[in-house]
Amino acid sequence: MEPNRKQDSNRLATFVWVLALILIWELGATLVAQTKRTPENVLPHLYQIVESVFSTKLVNGSQTAFQIVLANAGITLARAGIGFMLGAAIGFLLALLMNLMKTVEKIAFPYLMIIQMIPILGMAPIVLAVTKDIDKSRVIIAAILTFYPVATNTLAGFKAVPGEKLELMHVIAASKFEIYRKLLIPSCIPYFFTGLKVSAPMAITASILVDTLQGGGGLGTMLSQSLKHAMTIYVFWQIVFLSAIVGILSYHLMSVIEKLAAPHRWARKVKLDEPAQLDEPA
Amino acid sequence: MNLRSSMNPPEEISVRIAATQQDVSNPEAPAADRRRFDAENLTTLLYPIVFGVLILILWQTQVLHRILGADTFTLPLPGRILTIIADNAPEILMNARATAIVALTGLLFGSMLGYLLGVIAAVFPKWGIGGLTVVSAFNAIPIIAVAPILNNLTKDFSRDADTRSMLAKILVVTLMTMVVMSINAYRGLTELKPYSEDLMKSYAARRTDVFFKLRVPNSVPFLFTALRVSVPGSVICALVSEYFAEYIVGVGRQIRENIVLAQYATAWAYILTACLMGILLYAILLAAEGSLLKGRR
Repeated sequence: MEPNRKQDSNRLATFVWVLALILIWELGATLVAQTKRTPENVLPHLYQIVESVFSTKLVNGSQTAFQIVLANAGITLARAGIGFMLGAAIGFLLALLMNLMKTVEKIAFPYLMIIQMIPILGMAPIVLAVTKDIDKSRVIIAAILTFYPVATNTLAGFKAVPGEKLELMHVIAASKFEIYRKLLIPSCIPYFFTGLKVSAPMAITASILVDTLQGGGGLGTMLSQSLKHAMTIYVFWQIVFLSAIVGILSYHLMSVIEKLAAPHRWARKVKLDEPAQLDEPA
Repeated sequence: MNLRSSMNPPEEISVRIAATQQDVSNPEAPAADRRRFDAENLTTLLYPIVFGVLILILWQTQVLHRILGADTFTLPLPGRILTIIADNAPEILMNARATAIVALTGLLFGSMLGYLLGVIAAVFPKWGIGGLTVVSAFNAIPIIAVAPILNNLTKDFSRDADTRSMLAKILVVTLMTMVVMSINAYRGLTELKPYSEDLMKSYAARRTDVFFKLRVPNSVPFLFTALRVSVPGSVICALVSEYFAEYIVGVGRQIRENIVLAQYATAWAYILTACLMGILLYAILLAAEGSLLKGRR
């Protein structure tokens, strides 16, 4: 195996795919530009969006388009972040409790599934009525969305521990605390991070979605205003790309934290994020 | 009576859980253990129901309102929500149908495309892995960013606002479910049991045999893992994409419209409908998984 060369070829493949996507976008944009009266509303060229980022034209009197987006992104992401951390902590604790006590598992498991079914926007007004504060309701909704994937994934991690390992722990008369500390919790960590990776973009989505419900600041508010042509449509396109980039970065941030948290597992485990380690069927 | 009927779906799910748990803990299920399992099943059913009924009682007697500091206007009593559902049944059913069509069509196309992508990536790993990396990046893109784009793109598809909105919504669901399925399909096709591939090689099996007799069966549990994410996901995607759709139809859109009009009780009726739809689909999935994966876990 030549890991470096393999990694390079995978990077190249990813790069080519990204290029292909850009090409498709540009082809579409060219087509739209020829057939539509206001092509920037449907599919602008990528360079037009990049141009709007660096443009110094003031959009609302005091800020450029990009300044508006950045200022609102700060508000939205801070709420998403707080909600995410709260949700992750609650999710992990619940999974732990569910694994420790059969009764808790029986009570909570069906409801864990049902929580996921409740449309978040529908919950916003009720959370708002309780907290009387849009900021708090954004945090709570982001937390609810985070807590479910983390809890189910972590619980799956506890359940996936092979029976032989548990039996071995019993044979050497390990205490319950020791079993959790040395076997169950370390082996559920990758599952826990899977949950985090799923929910990090979801927390951001939730935060933006709640924004659209009410006025005030936030990416969602700007997104809907821009769509209604209250300001330049490029604010919308910038938000689309920014939220995509932040979503992807949040996912990778979790991978980085996972690497730091459990480096020894990472070294052996085959992961999609680390294509260099995948073995080709020879 | 009405309150109890609303508790039926969780009951159904817990029956499924009980069934799978029984399979896991004891595949042979000796007759001597029957009675212990009956008690186990009973509590699996009973605990969540007791918990749910308790919450409902607290809700109906407005103790819940006092704890949360809410009023009956934003958090209507369960009885009132059920009355509204009963009164508006045809309209709610019509909206539920629209949402279900979007979610299920998107789920079907998305999962098939996703599996296909997974297969391609597994067969041509050189280019496929790079492609999957790009596809998995889609996973992190918020739906709210995608829905308006697709909405604008499909404007020319049909002159009928309902049809073109439907297409846009289905595309959103397709995109989202495709990503989940492709990653899981790839993992299922490549993360084989240690040495199983070497064993196949020692049998001098052809690549197609390795693929159909080892890789594809190996991917089935992963397929269900993906569906467990994408079935609830498809409903939520459908609901969210309705917020941005041109044509006003669907459970999600009705929730939003009624909240804007401050008709919280009607919004709650649609929230309940959305929950029931999701639960029903999930129950069907669990039933399918239970019967298809019997004895495999």
